[in-house]
Amino acid sequence: MHLHKYEKIWLTFGLGSLALFLVIIGFAAFWKGTHPMSHIETIDPQNVEAHDSFKPENLGLREVAEGKYTVNIVASAFNYDFGTDADGKPVKKIRVPKGSTVLFQITTKDVVHGFQVAGTNVNMMVEPGHVSRLETVMKNVGEFTVVCNEYCGIGHHQMFATVEVYE
Amino acid sequence: MATDNPKKRPVQQSGNPHTGINLKGTFISVMLLGVFILVTWFGLYALFLSR
Repeated sequence: MHLHKYEKIWLTFGLGSLALFLVIIGFAAFWKGTHPMSHIETIDPQNVEAHDSFKPENLGLREVAEGKYTVNIVASAFNYDFGTDADGKPVKKIRVPKGSTVLFQITTKDVVHGFQVAGTNVNMMVEPGHVSRLETVMKNVGEFTVVCNEYCGIGHHQMFATVEVYE
Repeated sequence: MATDNPKKRPVQQSGNPHTGINLKGTFISVMLLGVFILVTWFGLYALFLSR
């Protein structure tokens, strides 16, 4: 088969890119353990309190080890439940030191919500019946807004909170 | 015989169909697109790593 010289160059480039990206996908999936945020684990959306992580007293930020934190959240239309503070007020802001490893665990009682800590790599879909988990290292100092990025209804824009990473 | 002809004809026609056509512009534009895709991908990957 006759191929033009340019076609040969282009095909080499195209197949090379394909091979490169396949290797990257394999590296991410099998070496770095990248996978969908909602795991095989399921939860009863009508009764999320039955799950240890989503009992009202376990919601919000918790330090589980030196520099390691867990944040448990229950999303619902139209709120992120981070638990309550000492005065019984709902928590809308969590603070973690720079460089800490934070595991976000979130589920929803009703419809599909999003959970994005804008400006960080924390971005996941929250589906009823599933537990979404994402562990990340908070590398950069700043105040990051948590937003719902899946349209969930009339109060969609009212779903927000803040994550502050301090020095 | 009638079934052989349709098979042979394209082969004969594609003997060297690109001769006399200047494909330099096509080549450059397609490579620019490829480079653009690679640059955006690695740019986004760098953004992912920095956050």
